[in-house]
Amino acid sequence: MNFDRRSLIKGGAALGLGASTNLLDYAKAWAQASPFKAEPNAKINLMRWKRFVEAEDVEFMKLVAAFEAATGAKITVTNESYDDLQPKASVVANTGQGLDLVWGLYSLPHLFPQKCLDLTDVSKYLGEKHGGWFPSAEAYGKLGNKWIGIPIAASGGLMNYRISSMEKAGFKEFPKDHAGFLELCKALKANNTPAGFAFGHASGDANTWLHWLLWSHGGYLVDKNDKVIINSPETAKALEYAKALYPTFIPGTASWNDSSNNKAFVAGDLHLTANGISIYVTAKKDNPAVAADMNHAYLPVGPVGKPTELHLPFTMLAFQFTKVPNACKAFIAFMLDAPQYNPWIGAAQGYLSHFLGEYDANPVWTADPKTTPYRDVAKRTLTPAGLGTLGEKAASAIADFIVVDMFANYATGREDLKGAIAGAERQAKRIYR
Amino acid sequence: MAARLQRAAFRSQMRIPARGPAHAAFFEHGSVMVNSAIDMTGNPGRRQSERTLWAKLQGNRNWLGFWYMLPAIGILVLFLAYPLFLGVWLSFTDTKIGRAGEFIGFENYEWLWDDSVFWVSVFNTLLYTIVASAAKFGIGLYLALLLNKRLPFKALIRALVLIPFIVPTVLSAIAFWWIYDSQFSILSWSLRKLGWISANIDFLGDPWNARWSTIFANVWRGVPFIAITLLAGLQTVSPSLYEAATLDGATPWQRFRHITYPLLTPIIAVVMTFSVLFTFTDFQLIWALTRGGPVNATHLMATLSYQRAIIAGQLGEGAAISTAMIPFLLAAIGIAWYGLQTRKWQQGGSND
Amino acid sequence: MTSIDAGRRADTTDHSDGMAYLETVPSRVVTTYIPLLLILIVLLFPFYWMALTAIKPNDQLIDMDKVSPFWTWNPTFQHIHKLLFESDYPRWLWNTMFIASCATFISLVASVLAAYAIVRLRFRGAQTVGALIFLAYLVPPSILFIPLATVIYKVGLFDSPLALILVYPTILIPFSTWLLMGYFKTIPFELEECALIDGASRWQILTKIVLPLAIPGLISAFIFSFTLCWNEFIYALTFLSSTQNKTVPVAIVNEFVDGDIYRWGSLMAGALVGSLPLVILYAFFVEHYVSAMTGAVKE
Repeated sequence: MNFDRRSLIKGGAALGLGASTNLLDYAKAWAQASPFKAEPNAKINLMRWKRFVEAEDVEFMKLVAAFEAATGAKITVTNESYDDLQPKASVVANTGQGLDLVWGLYSLPHLFPQKCLDLTDVSKYLGEKHGGWFPSAEAYGKLGNKWIGIPIAASGGLMNYRISSMEKAGFKEFPKDHAGFLELCKALKANNTPAGFAFGHASGDANTWLHWLLWSHGGYLVDKNDKVIINSPETAKALEYAKALYPTFIPGTASWNDSSNNKAFVAGDLHLTANGISIYVTAKKDNPAVAADMNHAYLPVGPVGKPTELHLPFTMLAFQFTKVPNACKAFIAFMLDAPQYNPWIGAAQGYLSHFLGEYDANPVWTADPKTTPYRDVAKRTLTPAGLGTLGEKAASAIADFIVVDMFANYATGREDLKGAIAGAERQAKRIYR
Repeated sequence: MAARLQRAAFRSQMRIPARGPAHAAFFEHGSVMVNSAIDMTGNPGRRQSERTLWAKLQGNRNWLGFWYMLPAIGILVLFLAYPLFLGVWLSFTDTKIGRAGEFIGFENYEWLWDDSVFWVSVFNTLLYTIVASAAKFGIGLYLALLLNKRLPFKALIRALVLIPFIVPTVLSAIAFWWIYDSQFSILSWSLRKLGWISANIDFLGDPWNARWSTIFANVWRGVPFIAITLLAGLQTVSPSLYEAATLDGATPWQRFRHITYPLLTPIIAVVMTFSVLFTFTDFQLIWALTRGGPVNATHLMATLSYQRAIIAGQLGEGAAISTAMIPFLLAAIGIAWYGLQTRKWQQGGSND
Repeated sequence: MTSIDAGRRADTTDHSDGMAYLETVPSRVVTTYIPLLLILIVLLFPFYWMALTAIKPNDQLIDMDKVSPFWTWNPTFQHIHKLLFESDYPRWLWNTMFIASCATFISLVASVLAAYAIVRLRFRGAQTVGALIFLAYLVPPSILFIPLATVIYKVGLFDSPLALILVYPTILIPFSTWLLMGYFKTIPFELEECALIDGASRWQILTKIVLPLAIPGLISAFIFSFTLCWNEFIYALTFLSSTQNKTVPVAIVNEFVDGDIYRWGSLMAGALVGSLPLVILYAFFVEHYVSAMTGAVKE
């Protein structure tokens, strides 16, 4: 096996082991010491989301190999794109065989909570060992008192902007409130260096920024008792704000999927959008001029006066019907252990942010200041349920693009204010009944 | 003619010399349903022994037919009829992914009845099917007529025409997606360079643009199959008919209207049935191009059903949308049946 | 006229252009060549665009100002190389080929038997069964794939090529049966009667008389079925999960879309190379295909 020497050293150093310690030995020692003992010759089928950055995938496969060598388990890893992962996991959940571990996005475990293995012990172990879970991790992982998934990392949707265009539009730094943000978009449009945010069915981009927009005005789909409260003056204000933004955007945002803004930004046609760090990572390779001229910022804080961001967490779940529950638990624990986790999020180049306090210190967040905002993504994120409980209903609501369609309907002029809200309310009531 | 010769050859070839025990055993198999409908026209003067053998064979028909049908029917029942039944059953339940549902009667349908997105999808499906099928038929027929003329490199051109049909739909849909891109569309770029437009065309971001764009992509993909099949039909039309018509002073349009079109009707009926069905149940193209967007303006019933059932997890509701397609499919069958009837009538008239 | 002569004739002569001598050259240009050229350009442009994308360097893909997007002067084989040597592409190609061949074979066998039984055995209820098979064609995969997934799991075939091999015939059998029914009808009854009288079994009749006469129909059904298998997406997407088991269309879309980055070059290279086997197949058989369809539609 060919282990990356740098990651070995880093891993060893983080645990206070000598630099000479071999990762395999370490993995073996870890397997000995860990409270989770993999079943002998365990076979794990793991399905994960398709990588964003190749280096991340490579690093992940290394830690898989180390785990296999240390425990004798065999892990088959399948990669699925964003849009196919959830249906596949759902089918497996429905039929009760085929996969053991699924590493999905958003609230996947909450789509079929009764099919998820109880991972409370794993989360407790990890939380104690690595500086505690951020509160958002509990929101994502827990159902009642039970952890049904372990949030491994989150991918942030923050503002990506071109520095020169912003300055030309008259802003020294990125606006922190809604008035400034709208003004910036208008000025960018006037300078022919437009902004653009997805109004299409983009499961990542559209959901994250439009939920932020709704919440930042104080509008919510449901209250904390899961009663539908989307029909509110706050929602109306959010919609009006979106309607004011829409004409400042580059044409075509209603058809955008997750990849559209990346392409336009890297090409230099788009000057402001909300996205993960992938634009920056790609631009460094394909269009360095754009990379040098861009930066990232938190989403502005709206009238409610506090951050209301939604990011994209990746949560690992184990199926309750797995034949090797302990091996699954052991693998999750191993993955989030510092010597594995640190090089792995390092390789992700800022794409993935941690949910455990200890990893704030990872050098990836400080090596390039442009990635620093992404460090706090997992800390700042709310859950797609908003005020309500994260569960299968909230998962359905976000998967069905209720909020996205509401905004798109009104902003593009397809429906009036009342009609757009009523449509969303009707659909939400159906789900939350 | 070649076939006649071949037939004669077979006749002599098949004079099987002796009736071995194997044969006898085989013939014994049949149940004795001697009186089932017997088609014995043209064999009045056979010897008695052959008559009983023939009769036994007739009796064999049901038994044999059962075995011959078994593979096809087995596969279709297990992997088509049974899941179809399951699907209809699902539509009357509130099943979600990962959780068995309870019977809730028509609630899913009642919900859909008031769902504007559902009706948009019905409208889109009909628009998509009717416009795309009509366009495919028109262009396909025109192309078939062109290909039927004397052309240089005929085989090559025919092979080229089939290319859109050959490339996997998902991948050509992705190519189209890029051709329609809101920023990098080659079409917008060309038109802009020509000075015909000043801003990029928002192909997939505007509801009607998106509808026409998806219809165009569907037509693009569907034309070759129709053209080649109709070309096959055209080749069966005897040239002497045209020659006779021309001598009588018929115009090209009259030749088409009174010779080509009537003779082509049966194959048109069949190929259009398939085309309508393919278009009606299309999924890949829309899914790859628009995901039903912008703001649900291009959802077809198939994509909406996938969105609701698989993406949002409401299996019952999704199944209800699929089931709602069935009446439309039945209507299509009705039309197809009508077409096939026409075909039979033609067959009777043509006296081959 | 029978199927055979129709096929022969289609190969050698065009018989509907008997009027060609009446047309002048300029009128031929206007009525034939120009429209044909236009249609061909529209039909082939997306394909050209795919091919071009497959060999364009990355930086030219999204830059339309510096270089003309219609051509590239510095083609790169990086995308194709990546596809062929840095992914499991050959493996996917083999999977697709294997699945398509097996499914097509099963469908053809089942269809031949079914079509023969319906047309010639005329067992009780043959008409009804024929109608039902035709009906089967009307049930779209998008309706079936949810419940079908349950069935596939129950039978224990998930993530096995066998799942597709067994399910694809549901799409293929109805068409092939219809095509072959048309074909079998053209074979004269007397032929079989003679054979029957001479003591041939039904099986012998089918394999020795009917099938050889129906070869053009079989080719047609084969090509059509093979193409459908090759292009099928939704079942392949649902029933296969491990990367090394996937078929070309699904695997390419999955492999070359990284989260929110589409790797256009490799995607299009994949589409191109993935279509090649079919292009070759069609290049060989397109004339047979036309003549075979001719046989099928002519009764």
